[in-house]
Amino acid sequence: MKISASDLILLAHAGCGATGCLAAIWVFVEALNATPGNAVRLQRVALAVAVCMSAAWICGGYWYVHFYPAEKDLILHGPWPFAHNFFMETKEHLFFVTAILALLLPIAAREKVYSNPAARKLVLSVAGLVAVAGLAVEGAGAVIDHGVKVALLQHAY
Amino acid sequence: MLTDEKLSTATSGFALAAGITALVNTALSCAKDAYAPFKDFLKSLTDHDWTTQGLIDLALFAALGLIFTTTRVGDKIHPSRLIAGLVGAVVVAGLGLAGWFALV
Repeated sequence: MKISASDLILLAHAGCGATGCLAAIWVFVEALNATPGNAVRLQRVALAVAVCMSAAWICGGYWYVHFYPAEKDLILHGPWPFAHNFFMETKEHLFFVTAILALLLPIAAREKVYSNPAARKLVLSVAGLVAVAGLAVEGAGAVIDHGVKVALLQHAY
Repeated sequence: MLTDEKLSTATSGFALAAGITALVNTALSCAKDAYAPFKDFLKSLTDHDWTTQGLIDLALFAALGLIFTTTRVGDKIHPSRLIAGLVGAVVVAGLGLAGWFALV
């Protein structure tokens, strides 16, 4: 078995992104049930969202710049060119919005979410947006991956 | 239990900065896709236009957040309007990106 550095970086990108999405959902649930007792936990998980999304940004960015061009070429010459033209183009730019929201989350979570309705609404909104946008980006990643697969398979049979 | 209805100056400042950054990001994405010399210019700054765009977004979010916090601009906007504006900006930015790459 041989696992290359590019494979590890790509899997780390997807793994960090998925973990960030799960953490954002966790923040959403903590904010729904905000009390003084879970305030610190909410802040720590919000920070974890920012850390996970930042790691996904760094890993994904390195992989995209150094390893994606070869896969892009395969996709564009395969039966699913929209996997790049629509899904990758949208994903690579929508991710920035997700990452910025993830960085905003720990700032918003510093508020007293349990006693401040405006802060609670902001944390719920930002965590919800991170989860939804993050899952959309994850889904787009799966379509891109399949775009490479069908491009390779068309020459196999 | 729920009593206070005001966001801190930093929170409102950075929330406003995030909304503006989301919209600027979409505008940058469309501009570099539509005008190749602009994409080439971004590429010339860091060897890849995507890297430059990410750094611009990050710098814009941090700079605007600090400016809005210092000048207390976010305090002048009611929290409900600020949150609605942020959500609206993110939805418009996301749909704008999807629409652009679906149609162009």
